[in-house]
Amino acid sequence: MSRTVTRSAQSTTNGLVPPTRAATGGVRVLAVGGESGPGPLQSLRQWAPDLGIDLEWAADLPRATRLLAGGHWDLVLAVLGDRSDEELTWWVDALRAAHGGTRLIALADRPSMGLALRAEKLGVLDLLALPLKREALATALARVRSAATEVALPLPPGEGDTEDHYALVGQSPAMLEVYKVMARVASSTATVLILGESGTGKEVVARTIHQHGPAATGPFVAVNCAAIPENLLESELFGHEKGAFTGAVARKIGRFEQAGGGTLFLDEIADMSLALQAKILRAVQEREIERVGGGESIPVTVRLIAATNRNLQEAITQGRFREDLYYRLAVVTIQLPRLVDRGDDLLLLIGHFARLFGARYRKAIDALSDRALELLRNHQWVGNVRELRNVIERAAIVVSDGTLRSEHLPDELRAEEPGVPDHTSGALPTLAEAEARHIARVLSHTGGQIGAAAEVLGIHRNTLTRKMKEYGL
Amino acid sequence: MRVEQALRLLPNLEALLPLRGLLLTSARPDARVQWGSGGPYLTVGKREVEPGELARSMGRVLTVVTEHINALFGAYIAALECQERGDAPGAVSALMGAGRLEETVGRLSQAQAWYEVSLALAETLQDRHPEIETLLSIGRTSLAAGEYAVGARHYQRALVLSEAEFDRGAAVDASVGLGDAAFECAAWAGAQAWYSRALRLSEAAKDRLRLGQIEHRLGLLARREGNLAGAGEHLRRSREHIEGLDAAGAARDMARVLDAQGELDAALGRPGPAAGAFREALAWVRRDQHDPALDVSIRLHLAELLLATGRWLEADEEMRRAEQLAITSNQPRGLVRIYTALGTLRGRQGDETGFVFFEQAIALCRAFEGPAVDEARAFHAYGVFRQVSGNPDEARAHLERARDIFRSLGVEAEVERVEAALANSHDVDTPAAGAG
Repeated sequence: MSRTVTRSAQSTTNGLVPPTRAATGGVRVLAVGGESGPGPLQSLRQWAPDLGIDLEWAADLPRATRLLAGGHWDLVLAVLGDRSDEELTWWVDALRAAHGGTRLIALADRPSMGLALRAEKLGVLDLLALPLKREALATALARVRSAATEVALPLPPGEGDTEDHYALVGQSPAMLEVYKVMARVASSTATVLILGESGTGKEVVARTIHQHGPAATGPFVAVNCAAIPENLLESELFGHEKGAFTGAVARKIGRFEQAGGGTLFLDEIADMSLALQAKILRAVQEREIERVGGGESIPVTVRLIAATNRNLQEAITQGRFREDLYYRLAVVTIQLPRLVDRGDDLLLLIGHFARLFGARYRKAIDALSDRALELLRNHQWVGNVRELRNVIERAAIVVSDGTLRSEHLPDELRAEEPGVPDHTSGALPTLAEAEARHIARVLSHTGGQIGAAAEVLGIHRNTLTRKMKEYGL
Repeated sequence: MRVEQALRLLPNLEALLPLRGLLLTSARPDARVQWGSGGPYLTVGKREVEPGELARSMGRVLTVVTEHINALFGAYIAALECQERGDAPGAVSALMGAGRLEETVGRLSQAQAWYEVSLALAETLQDRHPEIETLLSIGRTSLAAGEYAVGARHYQRALVLSEAEFDRGAAVDASVGLGDAAFECAAWAGAQAWYSRALRLSEAAKDRLRLGQIEHRLGLLARREGNLAGAGEHLRRSREHIEGLDAAGAARDMARVLDAQGELDAALGRPGPAAGAFREALAWVRRDQHDPALDVSIRLHLAELLLATGRWLEADEEMRRAEQLAITSNQPRGLVRIYTALGTLRGRQGDETGFVFFEQAIALCRAFEGPAVDEARAFHAYGVFRQVSGNPDEARAHLERARDIFRSLGVEAEVERVEAALANSHDVDTPAAGAG
């Protein structure tokens, strides 16, 4: 059952999280060396007493895995071999599974800029060059110790059903505007177009409109147009008659018919082919459909709500979206804000998801550490509320007491912690380092698409390919 | 352009398989879709490919293809030269080399074709060892392709010949192969007999790696038979044999044993040790030449463990890591297994849109001409998914398709499992059924 909830962020009372072993001094370190012995880590044994390290050593990955599974470790110092990139990913995977927030310091012979950037992206605490320097290790250890002293802040209290996956949570001005439009449109049967970036909650808004509208007793049928293979989407929407095509083994009732007397939510509508858009237009205009392979027109009474994260105006200009369909759908338009534009809604949402997943995983989560909150506030949230939900669910799985701390957050988020030293030089970055870092950021933004990245950077793709090779990206 | 669109423009020609592989490995997720509501349903078909990027990578692929074809041509020329100078064993060896090359790159039917030619020649020789070796190779590739009856037939012939020739190593290989064929067909008693025979022969030869491999199989068999304590004992012995060996491939065998240990611990309701065993198995996979297919397989088992313990998010993440690995290492067969598992996961979550994973798995089977057994498994799981989601007609069609494929492969145990599911489907359809 959907509901709209506005909650106020409670004033917080600071309470201290019990300090971990690392905070009080002894850092438990697992050093993982080459196959033939500790090699470059030999001096580590000498430094251990002075640096307050409780050190153990594993010769190789399998032995290290056994030791990791057998106890709590604050830090793993891993010497990377020839396949440093792959090994780094392996370590991040392995430590993600090891509960207790074990951090990783990778050691490599002359680490390339590409490796440094990758380490940073993966949330590795530090990438140090071999031979290992005492000062560099001491600095990294100081960061492990400081991360272990976090202050707990109580989460805002929740209201109502903690199992409600479709609750609209938020009281920011941007969301209040959304609620106003929803309230106006819900009582009508007008077609609604919901716009907003990925993960902003378009389906939640559509469900809420449905549940507060005249068709609330009817079904709510959601179709994700981006998920379904293009060749199957038509039959999924309109159904098909037996034998209409290979694989049409029986008559199938499509989503339009299934939603009869209720609401059909077409998500990611911009992902539809032009041919299918024409058929949707006909269904919207004439309120009837034809099953694939069937000649009969079937009347349908559905309220249509469509949504997209794309710029439909741009798609119309490029000829990828029908203008007439756009105007049919956009009778009322709701624009959802990005999470970063929703201010303190972030804390309310954290509280909501912490309760939701706390209940699922049988954990009473009632606090968030100051450092974790800072990391969550500084994150860019490209996946908006959906990404936040994932992050809190993951944290709820690994948390062992009632407080979500930075160690429970994904490595990628922890990598954004202010004050992460430059992995390659330790001083101000050189022009090449800054360029490599920027290229890596753009590539990450374009999902690795070189053409798109070259366009953003304003350089020829061949130049970009050359630079990627040069920087080992 | 999306991979699904790009694949539609590519005719289903065997010669174009490398291009299809390139399409797969060049596919990148669309960052806009990743966090969208379609994100959880992303498959390789929904990834993006850039024609320009394909063009740039083509040279590298063509070089690999050219080298491969060069080596095949070379092997053939070598076979001709051997024939010309009357060296038939040399010709067999050259043809076998070509088969092994094809097998290495996963072209099983092509490998079998080379081995068949080799076998015809080997049968004419007085020395029976080349014939035994060829028969073992055909047995191995047949099993890998899911053709268990064909595999068993060749292993049987290899066994008879190896015993006649007092070739103990080959007799062990043939016995293990016969055990594997029986195991795949759920003929547990037969598998037990063949593995035990292989074990006795290996004990006499004190071949630790082989002993470890056979104990591993006996462990898998005991687990299938429900003898979990026995399975643990076999796996312990397997580890003892293999651990510390420097032989080529020993690390890979160790990974397999630990993978089996993980599955056993999971069956014993010990998720912690099970996860530990899987993680250690993944570490062993990295020690030798990385085997992406084995890596994918272990990750899938880990995901299944997480799924069984209700840790859906982590299960999903593990499967996605396996998917990424399968895509970048051109493992369409691994992808088929992953998408079948993801569809099953969504089915358990009651998510009807999960059907997209089965559709993708079946499309990949066809596009990459994978073994029919994979397609049958995908259809079986798809049928069960449709049964649960209340589409009995479609469920029945998928299950019947699975049954027909399994039957054509002679896997009677699977046929029985599918028929049991079909009977359930019938019960659902018939209101009277079960009422009385």
